[in-house]
Amino acid sequence: MTFSKFRPTQLRTRMAALYAGLFILGFVVVAIVAQVMIEGQARRSVTAEMVTSGTVYDRIWALREQSLTGTSDVLARDFGFRSAVASGDQLTILSALETLKARAKVPVAAVVGLDGSVTGATGPLAQAMAQLPFQLADGRRDAVIGLGGDTYRLVSSPVLAPTEIGWVVFAVRLDAGEMRSLEKLSAIPMVATILQRSPAGHWQSADGVVPPTSDIDTLVSSSRVSRVISTIDVGGKEFYALARPLAGPQGEAQAVMLLRYSTSLALAPFRPIQFGILLAGLIVLALVILGSLRLAGAIARPITALQRAAQALEEGNRTEVDVIGTDEIGQLADSFNRMSAGIVERESRITHLAFHDQLTDLPNRAFFRQSLDEKLSRLTRTGEQLAVLYLDLDGFKSVNDTLGHPVGDALLRSVAKVLLGLTPDGLVARLGGDEFAIILSSGFEKDRPRALAQSIIDALVEPMLVDGLCIPTGASLGIAIGPDDGANSVQLLKNADLALYRAKQDGRGVFHFFEASLDQAARERRQIELDLRSALKTGQFELNYQPIFDLNAHRIGCFEALIRWNHPVRGPISPVDFIPVAEDTGLIVAIGEWVLHEACRQAATWPGHVRVAINVSALQFRHPGFAATVMQVLARSGLQPNRLEIEITESVFLDGDGPVMALLQKLRSLGVRIALDDFGTGYSSLSYLRSFAFDKIKIDKSFVDTIVGDASASAIVSAIVVLATALKMETTAEGVEDALQLAELRDKGCSSIQGYYYSRPVNGAAAFEMISDPNFAAAAA
Amino acid sequence: MFNRICLASGLWILTAAASLASPVTVVAKGADGRVLSGAVVSITVAGAPRPQPRGTYTMSQQNIAFAPHVLIVPVGATVSFPNRDRVRHHAYSFSPAKRFELKLYGRDETKSVTFDRPGVAAIGCNIHDAMSAFVFVTTTPFVAITDGSGRVVIDGVPPGQVSLALWHPSIRAPNNSVSRPAIVAAGGLATEIAPAR
Ligand SMILES: [Cu+2]
Repeated sequence: MTFSKFRPTQLRTRMAALYAGLFILGFVVVAIVAQVMIEGQARRSVTAEMVTSGTVYDRIWALREQSLTGTSDVLARDFGFRSAVASGDQLTILSALETLKARAKVPVAAVVGLDGSVTGATGPLAQAMAQLPFQLADGRRDAVIGLGGDTYRLVSSPVLAPTEIGWVVFAVRLDAGEMRSLEKLSAIPMVATILQRSPAGHWQSADGVVPPTSDIDTLVSSSRVSRVISTIDVGGKEFYALARPLAGPQGEAQAVMLLRYSTSLALAPFRPIQFGILLAGLIVLALVILGSLRLAGAIARPITALQRAAQALEEGNRTEVDVIGTDEIGQLADSFNRMSAGIVERESRITHLAFHDQLTDLPNRAFFRQSLDEKLSRLTRTGEQLAVLYLDLDGFKSVNDTLGHPVGDALLRSVAKVLLGLTPDGLVARLGGDEFAIILSSGFEKDRPRALAQSIIDALVEPMLVDGLCIPTGASLGIAIGPDDGANSVQLLKNADLALYRAKQDGRGVFHFFEASLDQAARERRQIELDLRSALKTGQFELNYQPIFDLNAHRIGCFEALIRWNHPVRGPISPVDFIPVAEDTGLIVAIGEWVLHEACRQAATWPGHVRVAINVSALQFRHPGFAATVMQVLARSGLQPNRLEIEITESVFLDGDGPVMALLQKLRSLGVRIALDDFGTGYSSLSYLRSFAFDKIKIDKSFVDTIVGDASASAIVSAIVVLATALKMETTAEGVEDALQLAELRDKGCSSIQGYYYSRPVNGAAAFEMISDPNFAAAAA
Repeated sequence: MFNRICLASGLWILTAAASLASPVTVVAKGADGRVLSGAVVSITVAGAPRPQPRGTYTMSQQNIAFAPHVLIVPVGATVSFPNRDRVRHHAYSFSPAKRFELKLYGRDETKSVTFDRPGVAAIGCNIHDAMSAFVFVTTTPFVAITDGSGRVVIDGVPPGQVSLALWHPSIRAPNNSVSRPAIVAAGGLATEIAPAR
């Protein structure tokens, strides 16, 4: 069942109908049981009463017999009467009978002689009376006979003298009056009726009040055996009835006394109970319907509310249902509310995740772009401005590399906090890595972007305390103002990035506003990238060689190969301009390979004691095929491996020193020399010296520049030289420009020098000449 | 037993002349087929001499009962009714054979009645309904009362055509009596008599 198909009103009706139906069913069952029980009870009670009444009737019947026989006995035993009977004195007999009839209120009385003669009665009744004494079984004194439509009770008394000489016989007509007088003696209002057998064999009353029915026939026939109470129908009314066969002269009953009792009268005392049950049932039914409607309503109402809430939730609205009570419905509503809250909460979390940076919880690049677009589109309407500040941490990569990612992450979080603290009026986002961006929306003061940028730089120039470590940091910022510097987020962000790039170029720890020229520079950079690819193919590169003068041997011991790019259109391009681009694009590998080949090819033409030094960028060095390239180059050029000197900077170690060490060892095993370039500018140079025995250390130009006059620089150089000597490494001082510097370096024990003082980089042919010319050596010395 | 002896002594002279005749044995039965004791069987032979009264015949009233219950007397016999009880008796008979009424109110008071017509007189007491007796007044000498097995043996009946009769108060027939013809052979007769069923 879906919620849309669900109709609570139906539920309500259904529940009410169900309960009402169940109740009615139950009530009907109870009512039927009650009815049956009442009926049974009434029947039992009536039956008991009728049995009692039947017994009473029996007693009355017997008493009447006694009374009649007693009366006739008195006459039959009278001596004079006996004498009259014995002597056949008719007149005396008749007079005696008359006296008796009057005295005993008997309508008919007669004397029956032994010969069957009758005195005192005539007609059919007299015949029946005459037969009676001869028909009665021993001990019986009375019998009931049917005679035409009438029924008579006959009673006989023998006339003994002392043997039987005749009988006194009475006849009493069992008419309606006789029945009424019997009825009066009953405790319950029963109706007594005499039934006779019709010629067709059915029992019926002579007056037609009780017509013949099979029920009555059945009742009569079963009553011969025992007393039975059954229900019969008389004149459309129902009666409880019992039949009392009245023994005829020879036993066979010619008449039956039917005692009946109207069932409606019998059940009348129980009517109030039945009515009461019905009334109570109706009242309870009404209560049940009301109650179940209320209950169903109480269930259905919250379900309706839940259904609406579920629909609302389906449509994406956050809804709550009022929790009513602590029952299951209440619990369901509570669960629903929690589910709804959970869905909304998860939804917002998903949204948050999608638009926020997990590390700093700042909005991410997507969110930033979206907001920026929104704000920019708003600007086009208001004519206001907004500022995008693009921030990049200085030296973050080395923090990650040297202190580990957890520290780097913590630093980023700290920076995020700082930025948030400084920017209450803008949107701070983390675009990825160590890049953050801030949007200052409309309504800021004109100087606000500059002030904010400066305050950020000022804040971040201080070393930060992260995880108990004091980390020197710093930031560069690029600022672009929309919509002038970009009408859409892509453009504006790119320009802010360009400004940042420029700021970094300007030296770290500064900010720079976007200028159109920056865009130009970027375009140039892209052009260089494109040109670089063709440059390698078309041989636009050439190598220059700067001699490294061996101060001990007083001769050129080595040339450092330096790449030159003669652009066909723009002329010579400095490596400073194109090497970063080559590194950014990965072209550095191919270019470096060319350099290796070309330098070694050239060096192979030099005298055996002159080596060639080749700068290998970290990217190139870490390239998997580098060792193979070196071997290939050596094999192709035929150069002695120990005449090749690979110059690497500390940056090769930045991605972990395990694979680097293995590579260094491999190169060393080939016989190739390894020099550590730009020594003194990194973070922990000394540990590298310890971990690998470099053949040479190249002292950075920055130290050489100030070696004369700057005591600290001088001391550092001294220390480096002493250290290198102790580690049996050669030293080359770079950027030597004058004799004083040379003298100082020589004095400190530097093993070789390189610089303009001795020679600028020269082309291959000039280098060859330089080796051959002994005057060079002398000049340097 | 007393009345049997009386009867036997009373008939002795009568039977002497026909002493050559063989005895007649009769078993009396009731309508229900059971033997009838205390019934009177009589055989009437044409031409036979009437019996004559001899001696005294007594129907005493003792212990509120008549004794004997059945008394056979020849026609003309006088029967005395002594009251041997302390209570009074009022013997009567409404029978056609002899109607009488004796108020015997004293102890040892005796009254006599002469039965001069054949038949059975049913005798009762008006005071005591339960008292009952019968005086069988006979015209034939061949008469006897059945014993406990309903049997009589009558000697001296001459052979030939006779009328055999049975009387008992329970017999529902006129005069409580039934009869039928019978032939007595030289060797006597053994037969049954019973009322028609
Ligand atoms: Cu008496």
